[in-house]
Amino acid sequence: MKGTQLGEFEEIVLLTIALCYDEAYSVAVMEELSQRLERPMSLGAVHRAMQRLEEKGLVQSRLGEATAERGGRRKRLFTVTMAGEQSLREARRIRNELWEGIPKTAFGI
Amino acid sequence: MNRKNKINSQPPRWAERLLGRIAAPHHREEILGDLYELFHKRGQRYGYTKARLLYVLEMVLLLHPRLWRNTSRSTHLDSKFIFDSQSNPTAMFNNHLKVAFRKISRHKSYTLINAVSLSLGIACAILIFTLVKYHLSFDDFHADQNRIYRIYTEFHGEKVTYNTGVPNPLGEAFRGGYNAAEEVGRIAFLPKRVVSVSPEKKFEEDIAFADPEFLSIFNFPLIQGNPKTALQDRNTVLITDEIAKKYFGTQDPVGQLLRVDDSLLVRITGVLQDLPPNTDFRSQIYIPFSNLQDHSPWMVEKDWWFSVNKEMQCFVRLKPGISAASVNKTILPAISNTYYDKEPAQYFQFRLQPLSDVHFNPELRGKTDKKNLRTFAWIGFFLILTACVNFINLATAQAIGRSREIGVRKALGSRRAPLFWQFITETAVIAGLAMVVALGLAYLALPFVNGWFEIDLTLNLLTDRYLLAFLSVLLLLVVFFSGAYPGLILARFQPLLALKGMPAQRSAGGFSLRKGLVVGQFAISQLLIIGTLIITTQLRYSQQADMGFQKDAIVILPVPDNQKSKLSALGAEFSELSGVENATFFDTPPASEAVGSTSIRFDSRPEAEDFSIAIKSADHQYVPTFKIPILAGRNLNPSDTIREYLLNETAVKALRLASLDDVLGKPATINGRPGTIVGVMKDFHFQSFRAAIEPLCLTTRSESYGSCGINVNLANLGPTLAGLEKVWTTLYPSSIFTYRFMDEEIGRFYKLDNMLLRLIQAFTGIAIFVGCLGLYGLVSFMAAQKTKEIGVRKVLGASNPSILWLFGKEFIRLLLIAFALAAPLAWWVMEGWLNKFVYRVEPGAGIFILAIVITLFVALLTVGFRSLKASRANPIKALRSE
Repeated sequence: MKGTQLGEFEEIVLLTIALCYDEAYSVAVMEELSQRLERPMSLGAVHRAMQRLEEKGLVQSRLGEATAERGGRRKRLFTVTMAGEQSLREARRIRNELWEGIPKTAFGI
Repeated sequence: MNRKNKINSQPPRWAERLLGRIAAPHHREEILGDLYELFHKRGQRYGYTKARLLYVLEMVLLLHPRLWRNTSRSTHLDSKFIFDSQSNPTAMFNNHLKVAFRKISRHKSYTLINAVSLSLGIACAILIFTLVKYHLSFDDFHADQNRIYRIYTEFHGEKVTYNTGVPNPLGEAFRGGYNAAEEVGRIAFLPKRVVSVSPEKKFEEDIAFADPEFLSIFNFPLIQGNPKTALQDRNTVLITDEIAKKYFGTQDPVGQLLRVDDSLLVRITGVLQDLPPNTDFRSQIYIPFSNLQDHSPWMVEKDWWFSVNKEMQCFVRLKPGISAASVNKTILPAISNTYYDKEPAQYFQFRLQPLSDVHFNPELRGKTDKKNLRTFAWIGFFLILTACVNFINLATAQAIGRSREIGVRKALGSRRAPLFWQFITETAVIAGLAMVVALGLAYLALPFVNGWFEIDLTLNLLTDRYLLAFLSVLLLLVVFFSGAYPGLILARFQPLLALKGMPAQRSAGGFSLRKGLVVGQFAISQLLIIGTLIITTQLRYSQQADMGFQKDAIVILPVPDNQKSKLSALGAEFSELSGVENATFFDTPPASEAVGSTSIRFDSRPEAEDFSIAIKSADHQYVPTFKIPILAGRNLNPSDTIREYLLNETAVKALRLASLDDVLGKPATINGRPGTIVGVMKDFHFQSFRAAIEPLCLTTRSESYGSCGINVNLANLGPTLAGLEKVWTTLYPSSIFTYRFMDEEIGRFYKLDNMLLRLIQAFTGIAIFVGCLGLYGLVSFMAAQKTKEIGVRKVLGASNPSILWLFGKEFIRLLLIAFALAAPLAWWVMEGWLNKFVYRVEPGAGIFILAIVITLFVALLTVGFRSLKASRANPIKALRSE
């Protein structure tokens, strides 16, 4: 079984999925991300990350409605699972602890 | 306009289609949708041209194993159980492989027959490939090898003859007067000279005298010494590393002295890298050409344009852009016209021979004939073919037994393609095994092949790209050739009939084809057998037929130098030995590969004759030693210079004289030297049987004597040889005593043919064996099928022989058909070969009858062995099941 360790990019994608809530599909996530990170993003990178997340069981997907703007094709919509939520919280906890642990002088002068 | 816009505002069709093909089904829709959506968004934002570009870029970035990986999220667990043969080739292949191994281990004898015949076939193919590749690679390592040529001589007499050599001054003429060549280098090759380091340490070596240009025309790099100055100073020498090690061990060879033939003392100034195996320039010792004058003055008469020695060769590297054709057309004829009078200019013509042709041209003493290589390639092909035929035969025969399996598979929903691939996989596994075994066999056989051909082939699978490519192609061809047809047959079975176990022989389509293939196989074997028999007969005839002189019991010794006093002393002492009848000195024995020819002017006729005459120098003992009959006049009188000539009958005929006596006492100028014709010899074969007997003359000329022929008594050969050696070593203490027999000398004419024969014999044996293996397998299946028939017949009182006949008659019929095909083909092919001989055997009916008897015998032995077993079996066992 592959480790359920959350990669840095995966974490961001997972957060974005949570952010978009009911409208999280690859194009939306990609656009959201490239806006926030201020760098262009390829669909491929996002797509792969979302697949990995799904394999790890952190998100689940369903097919949405077919729309004309997609040439009559359906989109795959993602939602964060319980496990996903948990690992996001875990990641946040670790970060918070780390922040709190930094001695004041570290960023001093 | 509108329409164009519409097309433009769509994503590229090809990219969509490509993606649809690559993507795993469960990704296809969403990805295409995503890209479509992005495309339109971008199109509106940046314009459609850019959007199209981004679409393709986006697609490229999407390419990742995840895109085509099959494990879908929803069917994560189920996918292991659902067998989707189309979208998962690896799993299917694994299954095929598993089934193939099971089949193979179940049908051991079937696999064994196939694997053995394939291994033998492939092993031969590997050896033949290596051999052919080796020969084709000769001298291909020289830089600019396409611009290197040898100048050779064409004698335009009554018919055209060829000589690899050129007159000595030609090189200088070509270099000086014409601006076509970058480099011109003369080389004189002298085989088997004695080279000594000290009186105790002496060796027989092939040496060469070469112009300094030799090193720049050819790519023979120096390890030590300066290539710019090498071969320039007199009395220096270059040797190869191999020779250096042999002579001096670990000592530094440079600066050491070598003595060549007692006549030349040279200092080593450089060491050449060892020669690669694929070169015809085998001399390992190179002395500056300027030294040739001291060693063999007879080879280099400065302005003598009239003698051509095959060892005295001239190589050129043309300037880029200058074609050989233009040199052949302008410069070389110009040389003839400048340096010869009108008539000899017609006779002596020079041409360029490309370096790549040097190894192959039989007319110019090429070591190999491309025709032989082609023969080998064909034999290799035939052997593979025979092995594949076995495969097909056995597989189709077996198909009947496999019908139930096919039926079950089909009933369970298997389609044709997987069944076909299933069979191909089985074939591939067997062929792969066979190839591994074949490689092993080839490695084992290589030393023998090297021994036969006196060459140094190596098989190196890891570094030899060509070999790897050849093996891969061969494997693919074998697999598809032998697997495709049976695979198609099997895949085509009707499931219902197949389940009932009755895909009747006719519906299997295999039987008639099988017969055809057996005929083909027999035909190939018979072709090879007839070929072998004819070659054997011709070679035996060539080597045993009367050549017109005595060739048994004659020992030939080389004479290191021809000082008159030493020769007469040697002759006198030899004659006193008890086992010696006669001793004679000469330049070449009666039959020899080296025959020089020259012009003749007879009597008072104003012009030279329009034919050329071969000339041999020998003393007065030559005729009695070789027992050459004199038809008119008398033998030569003892002399050291040219005074008298003996002609052969053909020469007299060529002079258009009515009677042999007409030439007696008449003067003649041969090779520019006058003399009197004193006698006529009976014609004898002074060349191989490939050449017709031509005009020949014999004369005395002691400075060209290089060998001694001794007519010995075979009864006590040992003591005689010992006596000869003793006399020899007292007179020539610094030389090595070597001797050979005249009949060995003649055998050398046919060396290449003998090698060819031995190889063909080996291959024929293998072809027959492979064919028999196939037959054995086929009969086994027939017997298995006919178990019940045999049982019934036996119960009804049939005898064993009658049951044997049941199997035999079919095969005899096939064999006869095969013979009807093979015999004319073999006759046609062998006529081509025999036509190269002027004196040849006529393949009689006996050979063909022998061939058919051999195949009949072998085939019936095979069939009989298996069918005897079938006929002996207890009928009760066969019939019990019903």
